[in-house]
Amino acid sequence: MAETVAQAKGRAPQDSPNDAPEKAVAEKTESLWKDVWYSLRQNVPAMVSLVIIVLLAIVAIVTFVAPGILPYDPYQQDLSASFEPPSAAHWFGTDQQGRDIFCRILIGSQISLTVGLLSVAISLVIGVALGAIAGYKGGVVDTVIMRFMDMMLAIPSILLAIAFMAALGRGIDKAIIAIGFVSIPEYARIVRSQVLAVKQSDYVAAARVIGDSDATIIFRHVLPNVMPSIIVRATLGISSAILDAAALGFLGLGVQPPAAEWGDMLGRGRNYIFAAPYAMIFPGLAITVTVLAFNLLGDGIRDAFDPKSRNR
Amino acid sequence: MLKYVLKRILLAIPVLLGVSIIVFLIMRVFSADPAPVVLGQHATAEAMEAWRDANGLNDPIIIQYFNFLTGALTGNLGESYYTHTPVTQELLSRFPATVELALVAIVIAAVVGVALGVVSATHKNSPIDGLATILALVGVSMPIFWLGVLLIILFAGVLHVLPSSGRIDPLLAPVGGTGFYLLDTLLMGDLEAFSDAAAHIVLPAVALSMYSMAVITRMTRSSMLETLNEDYVRTARAKGLKKRRVDIHHALRNAMLPVTTVIGLQLGSLLGGAMLTETVFAWPGIGKYVVDSILKSDFPVVQGAVLLIGVIFIIINLVVDVIYAYLDPRITYAKEEG
Amino acid sequence: MSMSEISRRRFVQAMGAISATSVFALAGCGAKRASESDDNTDSTASGIADTITFAQGADPRGLDPAYVDDGESAKIMCNIYDTLLAYDTQSCDIVPCLADLPDISDDGLTYTFKLQEGVKFHDGTDCNAAAVKANIDRQLEPNRTEDMPYASFVFGSEASGSGVASVEAPDDTTLVITLRAASTPFIKNMAMALAAPVVAPSAYADGANSIENPIGSGPYKFVSWNKGENVVLEANEDYWDENRMPQTKNVIFRFIAENSSRVTALNNGEVDIIDGIDASVVPTITDAGNELFEEDGMNINYMAFRNDDGAFTDLEARRAFCQAVNVEEMVQSLYGDYAGVATSVMPLWMAPYDEDIQQTAYDPEAAKQAFADLGITSCTMLTYTNPRPYNSIGGQALAEAIQGYLREAGVEMEIVSYDWTTYQTKVETDKFDVCLYGWVGDNGDPDNFMNLLADENVSMNVGRFRNEEYNALIQQGLATEEGDARNEIYKQCEQMVADQMPWMVISHSKNLAGYSPKVQGFYYHPTGVVHMEGVTKSA
Repeated sequence: MAETVAQAKGRAPQDSPNDAPEKAVAEKTESLWKDVWYSLRQNVPAMVSLVIIVLLAIVAIVTFVAPGILPYDPYQQDLSASFEPPSAAHWFGTDQQGRDIFCRILIGSQISLTVGLLSVAISLVIGVALGAIAGYKGGVVDTVIMRFMDMMLAIPSILLAIAFMAALGRGIDKAIIAIGFVSIPEYARIVRSQVLAVKQSDYVAAARVIGDSDATIIFRHVLPNVMPSIIVRATLGISSAILDAAALGFLGLGVQPPAAEWGDMLGRGRNYIFAAPYAMIFPGLAITVTVLAFNLLGDGIRDAFDPKSRNR
Repeated sequence: MLKYVLKRILLAIPVLLGVSIIVFLIMRVFSADPAPVVLGQHATAEAMEAWRDANGLNDPIIIQYFNFLTGALTGNLGESYYTHTPVTQELLSRFPATVELALVAIVIAAVVGVALGVVSATHKNSPIDGLATILALVGVSMPIFWLGVLLIILFAGVLHVLPSSGRIDPLLAPVGGTGFYLLDTLLMGDLEAFSDAAAHIVLPAVALSMYSMAVITRMTRSSMLETLNEDYVRTARAKGLKKRRVDIHHALRNAMLPVTTVIGLQLGSLLGGAMLTETVFAWPGIGKYVVDSILKSDFPVVQGAVLLIGVIFIIINLVVDVIYAYLDPRITYAKEEG
Repeated sequence: MSMSEISRRRFVQAMGAISATSVFALAGCGAKRASESDDNTDSTASGIADTITFAQGADPRGLDPAYVDDGESAKIMCNIYDTLLAYDTQSCDIVPCLADLPDISDDGLTYTFKLQEGVKFHDGTDCNAAAVKANIDRQLEPNRTEDMPYASFVFGSEASGSGVASVEAPDDTTLVITLRAASTPFIKNMAMALAAPVVAPSAYADGANSIENPIGSGPYKFVSWNKGENVVLEANEDYWDENRMPQTKNVIFRFIAENSSRVTALNNGEVDIIDGIDASVVPTITDAGNELFEEDGMNINYMAFRNDDGAFTDLEARRAFCQAVNVEEMVQSLYGDYAGVATSVMPLWMAPYDEDIQQTAYDPEAAKQAFADLGITSCTMLTYTNPRPYNSIGGQALAEAIQGYLREAGVEMEIVSYDWTTYQTKVETDKFDVCLYGWVGDNGDPDNFMNLLADENVSMNVGRFRNEEYNALIQQGLATEEGDARNEIYKQCEQMVADQMPWMVISHSKNLAGYSPKVQGFYYHPTGVVHMEGVTKSA
């Protein structure tokens, strides 16, 4: 995680001073996105990852809206069919309670994606707000906020998340809060350093001269410039949130049974590594592939934003 | 220089205080009332009230924090709700196991990570580079506990070459030394015990090192590529120095600066990963102890352990900063941290 | 550049030197090997390995038999301590141990034991009649404390008018125990692995901690207990009983929580014997060339309803629950051939007279209807995570299977689980509607099973079943001599359990253990303990 912070921090797009602020910013932004999309499309691993992620999202939504589409009810126990090895009927086999592992992995995408997106949303909103305020206001406000962020960073994130879970109690909703909360500082730091850079630029000075309010300046001039690094960080953040959630599930701090969560399924399957290795291998693969996809996409977006790396 | 070090140490003090506040807030303010946990839900309200009084839980929050802080400073982290043993004692007895695991893991991660990074940078776009890139990607994407179980299946379950759990054969365990078994057994000259301890640490250390190894590989590669493009390296090459010599003597040395930082930071994050690794390998360290304690809501233990790990993390960061400042001639000692 | 380069290098060297010396200085205080011997794994002249390692699923709760109630503790303690009497190797027949079989007075109230002479505890103090008296006295009222879970079970209580009234030690080798009322199982209780073993009084004197530093007179001496890792025992070379001299020098009990990890450790040669095996790993064990010990167990795996509080205080609600769960299918699926469906509290091989007892039949439709009528839509189950002797797959999987059946009957069951040691505390303190539990017989007497539902102590009677009629039957059974009349009483008790459903009985598990083919003389006693003194491993 430290690496992603360091890289995201160091590789923000360099903005050039501009004389006619608003129009230029808009144009610049638009062309930047086009550039990025173009460059991203050249990146095969990132595009493959994007396809995987879109597919996963479709699976999650479809199984949520119409769970009947699954060939088996992922919660329906059938003890007479427990631990059937992978076959044409059960592609990934069945678990101890005779439930189809393939269906449970599919429906498990709901929890993993929800945790990934919601926890990132939490840290994103709070982190961006705190970082923007700290960077823009400066002085005492800045010191207080950033010192507090330093303190949170001083505890390994998974340990902090686990401590939160210990205090709040088990459950996926609490996992989302815990994971979201612990990554706030990363966003706050990125946004703050960007804000500090942008604040010095001429067009913000110009905006100030024509009398724009602080809020207007932050929303119209500062945030659009911060977006690239935030998007990169958020994409990578989803992958680490999914990993953290799986870790909580593995430790038995995640979902309440019979809910299907990949980490929880993996932890359960661990007891049967000899009799039913598939009960552990497939959930592990699901986690790895999903996390890998978000990582590759994040890397791809970063490279796309970073002209220097594009030439590599 | 001295001034800079002093300043960094002074700056660390408020962070340490802050960590203690966060830990205190989570464990005392956000979490449920411990009285029913300790006394049972059927205890009378009076009994619970008396227990809270006796344990200072009815004092104003500020006083409670002050007591917690003075306790922590004097090495008193309270007692476990379940075993009634002092938390400090329990943590210290498990501490060497965790540190030993983390150190071995960081050494593996650093050596393999740097080597892979250098080779893939100097042989850019070669199959080795591709392999290293894939390894680095999978390394950060794989759940550490899954990797751990897979390693156990392969090396202990199928190949029978390494032990699957524990730290050492109990009869060979050194008693009364530092608690670092590898070191103790070596100092005793007990090679049998040393190799037993070494065999036990391999799998958990490899599993734990994977994430950091991936991060270090990527960092080394990109840092190496950057320096290889610098003017002085090109000049050295133009002067006709051998590629290998240039790579090692000029590029690597300069590329190592940021890598050193990453290695230091990774050592801190390994302490977090250790919780999962220790659980998988039944490694008797702080991580496994914390996880067990969380599952039974043993708050004083969790509180003490999080505080301890936080403090270590801060100290590691401090040391990394100081070393970095010393190694990097460009840094201005007055620089404010970002 | 060059100047700074040199000084930087020096700086790093200095750092290295400082850290190295400080570490060495620390280590200088002198580490020692845990075992004194130079070679611990190599063979001795006799071709017998010096060390045998037994892996079980959890730590003991403690090592003083007065304060614990679990099999993990019993397995270790039976090697450290002696009892007045003992069970025969494969059955629950009584044989002499520290004492010969006692003289019992005609009214069945006075037991006179003759003790072995010259027996010493491991710390050199005398194991005489006074020491045995002290052990029993500390577990009698008013000395008895709440954390002695087996005291009332083995030594009775004033309130119930049963058990030990007084203990006298007229001389070093004579012990006289007077009972309040005649009790058929009492003599068997004197051989139990819990409460009955004789602890050196010096071990629990002021300032000593017998729970963590046990001192007994048994074939093995306690060496160390690393919490969460292992307990190390070493042979008592001065053991008094020549027929039971310890054969192997060191015995180690290791604690490995996951079933699969224990199997890996056995197949990998890290440990020699494991228990807590479930059906899914049996092929893995035998395929690797290891042996399987398999024998009918004296145990019951059950789910207790909270009879005093919560959703199932009503008989109809309990009936609906029992109708909802297909116990037969569940047992077959979870335990395979290694457990039988429970038709009653005691396994039939122990109590053949129970054969026509019937439990509530599986009837999902009736259950659904009854739950709907009663308005029960949710409940909470408390369970343990570790595997237990009566439940080889652990409480979580069993709980989830039950949860699956209840879901079909329209009831959402929440599962709250803890590790076994914590769980035992939680069962006493927390709110719940149903909980999973089990029992391993200690002495082969029906009272040992049926008394659970009459016990005042919540840690025994987790469902808090209170029924005067039932308690009266239990008292009657205690005073009745073995034979048909007594069997009839326990059959009535079993019938009451089937009718009233304080428990949903699930299965009787086989005792399973896996061991290396090099191990000889290993057996698993029906009471769930393992005597290691006769076990050897060829080197």
